[in-house]
Amino acid sequence: MFHWLEKRPFFFAVAVFVVISFAGLIEILPNFAQASQPLVGTKPYSTLELAGRHVYIKNDCNGCHSQLIRPFKAETDRYGHYSLSGEYAYDRPFLWGSKRTGPDLMRVGNYRTTDWHENHMKDPVGVVPGSIMPAYPWMFKNTADIDTAYAEQITVNKVFKTPYNQEIPMADGSKATVKLAATLDEAHADALEEAKAIAADMKDQDVKDAVAAGQIPEIVALIAYMNSMK
Amino acid sequence: MNKLMVFGVVFVLALLGLTWVIAGGQMGDDIVNKLAMLGAVATATIAIFVALKYIRQMQTDKASGKLADENWDGIGEYKNELPFGWAIIFFGSIIWAIWYFLAGYPVNAYSQYGEYNEDVAAHDAKFEAQYANMDESSLKAMGESIFIVQCAPCHGLQADGIDGKAADLHHRIAENSVKAVIMNGSNNNLVGTGAPMPDRNGLLNANTGALITDAEIDTVSKYVAGGMQGTEGADVFAGTCAACHGADGKGMDMVAPNIAEMSPSLVDAVIHHGKKGVIGTMPAFTNLTEVQAKAIDAYVSSLSK
Repeated sequence: MFHWLEKRPFFFAVAVFVVISFAGLIEILPNFAQASQPLVGTKPYSTLELAGRHVYIKNDCNGCHSQLIRPFKAETDRYGHYSLSGEYAYDRPFLWGSKRTGPDLMRVGNYRTTDWHENHMKDPVGVVPGSIMPAYPWMFKNTADIDTAYAEQITVNKVFKTPYNQEIPMADGSKATVKLAATLDEAHADALEEAKAIAADMKDQDVKDAVAAGQIPEIVALIAYMNSMK
Repeated sequence: MNKLMVFGVVFVLALLGLTWVIAGGQMGDDIVNKLAMLGAVATATIAIFVALKYIRQMQTDKASGKLADENWDGIGEYKNELPFGWAIIFFGSIIWAIWYFLAGYPVNAYSQYGEYNEDVAAHDAKFEAQYANMDESSLKAMGESIFIVQCAPCHGLQADGIDGKAADLHHRIAENSVKAVIMNGSNNNLVGTGAPMPDRNGLLNANTGALITDAEIDTVSKYVAGGMQGTEGADVFAGTCAACHGADGKGMDMVAPNIAEMSPSLVDAVIHHGKKGVIGTMPAFTNLTEVQAKAIDAYVSSLSK
């Protein structure tokens, strides 16, 4: 039956490779395809949140903070439900981190709020005695890059079909829609609306003034990102 | 008995003798050691005699039987019957593989999440059994240790709110908070459900028959923040606040929260629903178990006493 193959070592090797890879493919691919689907309740990032994510990456927050809760009781007690792969469906790149000098931030939006982040980013030791995290005062002055965030939104929408302007099922059965602005000006306006709601919960007068004047400081975008991590 | 057989017997005896020399003195009365020694004897005997059988077969057997069609550079292959034992194992493995594929692996496979769930369930059961009936002091002790982990990052290790960055839990309420609530109203689920308090445009002073004034807000704020001591502001409180919060300020079920003191039920409502006030927003802590929430309630309400 296999005389032809048995006389040809090269094609025999190819056939062995195909047979073995087939086993691998039917085991790995279906699971992978299923696990990489967005989890119900996972939303794409809004423009402001994405700008905050860029601030997070720019300041190398992922050098010390992970975004990956492992299924151990010690971790879920501290950080909340363990992470599932579908929750990273819209993370490009993912920011799992490989080192946990600071705590995990996967679900920080569940147990920290805008005012706490403001205090903490200004003076970490002021709220967490003994913290070795540095202060990030420049985030209160630098302006967030909304243009790049909007460009990324358009890119992932076009290339990866990230579902902006579509109804997304949420965990409680309701539907949510994340808006992708039609023009850059509209994106700026939307981000500013979102920033105003956050600045209203903040104390820093300079930040409030900047937002009132139409500027979005980096800290506001970062807090929007932090609050979105649930 | 030929030479080979004699060699085999001598070799087995030599092996057993060597084993006895090395391990025999340490046998003691342990049954496991004796079984192991018995196993060693059996293994050596079987191995030697099986080997001898095949060595003799190689010496005496003649090549015979039907050759297969394949011939690789002069090397041929006899068409032998499938050995019976081998065939049993082969077909048995096929049946086992079907079972393993359909039922064995899917049902019994190791799962990290499964282990986690078992872990948590076991811990919770133990925790609940151990702390089912706690007295006040051990509740407070547990509450304090939970406080350090869950609450201290905002309220501070001393529960003083770290210079106004969070609520100072040694007092029921600060003056600026009272003022902000009167000015803006409040809807914080502090009685367990939504029972919104109106802003100043809905607060009538029954003594004067008019809306509460700025001066009255100042005095009543001082009065409430001061623990409702003294007389200044007491009349405004009686005329404006007492209707819902009660004459003693201890609140009414499902109507208005206790503003005279930190009661366990008040703390419980804040923990389960969170709170948004003039200081900032506190998230809800839904990750705590019932016992843990009770412990926090007991500890935090004890701070102001």
